[in-house]
Amino acid sequence: MSGYTEGIIILLCINAIAAMGVSLLTGFTGIFSLGHAAYMALGAYTTAILTVQHDVHWLPAILLGGVVAVAVAYFIGVPTLKLMGDYYAIASIGLGEAIRLILENWQSVTRGARGYPGIDPYTTFPVALAFFLVLAVFMFNLINSRFGRACKACRDDYIASSLLGFNTARIRVLSLMISAFYCGVAGALLGGFLSFIQPVMFDMLKSTELTAVVVFGGLGSMSGSLLGTAVITLVTELFRPISQYRMLIYGAVLVIIMVLRPEGIMGNREFLSWVKAPFRRRA
Amino acid sequence: MATLIQQIINGLSLGSVYALIAVGYSLVYSILLFSNFAHGGFLVIGGYICYGVLHTFGTGIWVSGALALAGAGLAAVLTERLAYRPIRERTNVTLYLLIASLGMSIVIENIFVIVAGGRFRALPPVIPTTPVNLMGMATTSAFDLLSLVSAVVFLGALQLFLSKTRWGLAIRAAAYDLRTAGLMGVNVNLLISIVFFVAGALAAVGGIFLSVRYTLYPQLGAITIKAFVAAVIGGLGSLPGAVVGSLILGLAEMLTAGFISSQMRDLVVFSMLVITLLVKPTGLFGKSVSEKV
Repeated sequence: MSGYTEGIIILLCINAIAAMGVSLLTGFTGIFSLGHAAYMALGAYTTAILTVQHDVHWLPAILLGGVVAVAVAYFIGVPTLKLMGDYYAIASIGLGEAIRLILENWQSVTRGARGYPGIDPYTTFPVALAFFLVLAVFMFNLINSRFGRACKACRDDYIASSLLGFNTARIRVLSLMISAFYCGVAGALLGGFLSFIQPVMFDMLKSTELTAVVVFGGLGSMSGSLLGTAVITLVTELFRPISQYRMLIYGAVLVIIMVLRPEGIMGNREFLSWVKAPFRRRA
Repeated sequence: MATLIQQIINGLSLGSVYALIAVGYSLVYSILLFSNFAHGGFLVIGGYICYGVLHTFGTGIWVSGALALAGAGLAAVLTERLAYRPIRERTNVTLYLLIASLGMSIVIENIFVIVAGGRFRALPPVIPTTPVNLMGMATTSAFDLLSLVSAVVFLGALQLFLSKTRWGLAIRAAAYDLRTAGLMGVNVNLLISIVFFVAGALAAVGGIFLSVRYTLYPQLGAITIKAFVAAVIGGLGSLPGAVVGSLILGLAEMLTAGFISSQMRDLVVFSMLVITLLVKPTGLFGKSVSEKV
């Protein structure tokens, strides 16, 4: 396998991990976020600083990157998740940008806008794939677990599910924390892949892309999110030779998908339901 | 003391430009209940039309400004026709409109990257920037006073349009309840087109002033995120709220830049957004959430 193909697959794995996190929050719990790139930034910077300045091994460093993202998500989530609907999305823009600006202005720790070079390239092909597989297995089990069903109940009818005894506030915060962990790990892996990070890589456009991929794949479908990631990552890679038009096409694809098929590629079905369908008895 | 007065005037002038943009946000939000992220694109369209007309035809600021207003307004109407109306007719999930508007903002920005190139352009000196002495108390530039005055003029005209004309009445009715307004015989599609035209034209005014204050480049539209923050602080969907929020934000930004550090101004803006949402999610003048979601 050539280095280029390998690079694309690594990038695909990283994007898919982040997309799974956002999919849990947006697709399954129904909380729309426009600031999730900030959690990627937190993971990336934590891991970079730990590995470069404190000589921590990359594996615990990546996990710690995820943990820092979770901790920040908890402190942010407890007060802000009281906001419903559009208002949380708006708050998440502000929070995401605030975190990015802090990273940009905290010169002594993050080297500011110049970026953080010289990260050990620990994200090799097997590492990225292993992280993706482990996290994917965990996520697919999670969405069919008691917790996953509680998330869906929260999304479908907030009031009814709280009347049924779900602790809806707790489910929302937990869902945000898990999705922050996924994004933090994805950011940490991205830092190890590029061996250079910069605050501007995690701006609102990146957050938008994360949410757009999930909506594109189908809200409420984890495998749809993975498919959406694959399509968007490959499309942006394939159009790299005509780089001028790349973003134009990306924007146009977003609009066209929303106009033609707003429920996304997969709707809220999973791949498995297609595989099983021929064997199921018709009633 | 002189610095303080100067920064306050700067802040009010910047805030008035934000107000022009934020009012457009609020108008669209009050009718369709979604945040139109493509709004920044209309500002860029207005700026580039003004720049293009000034350069190729050499007409005065009045003609090129008027063309910019009309062009940005039409672009806004076209955006609504192409991207939002098909979605609006199919579902009432505002999330889809939000994503489509994000896509539109990327499209508009990159059309200008391709057509006009990414470089920074300075508008010819059509708006005077000579220093003005304010009764010996402080010095400020004529540009700041002019942008303040024109914002007042345009916002006053909008207020007259909304309160005195039949279409203004229809817009106020639709802001209260779009469906019922439609049932009462208001042509909803035409009404939404008018709202988008007005919002686009006001954004173009803001765009012209912003491209004189800074420079003109395809990503200039990103600055509308601050106007959007102002609209949220004032209360989404409330026009006086948008104006008051913008002035507060402009003042906060300029005072931070003047007395603390100019790097902190963006951080102050976004902290104000988060604090507002935590303390009073509906903003200063917003209606209560249960009434309007």
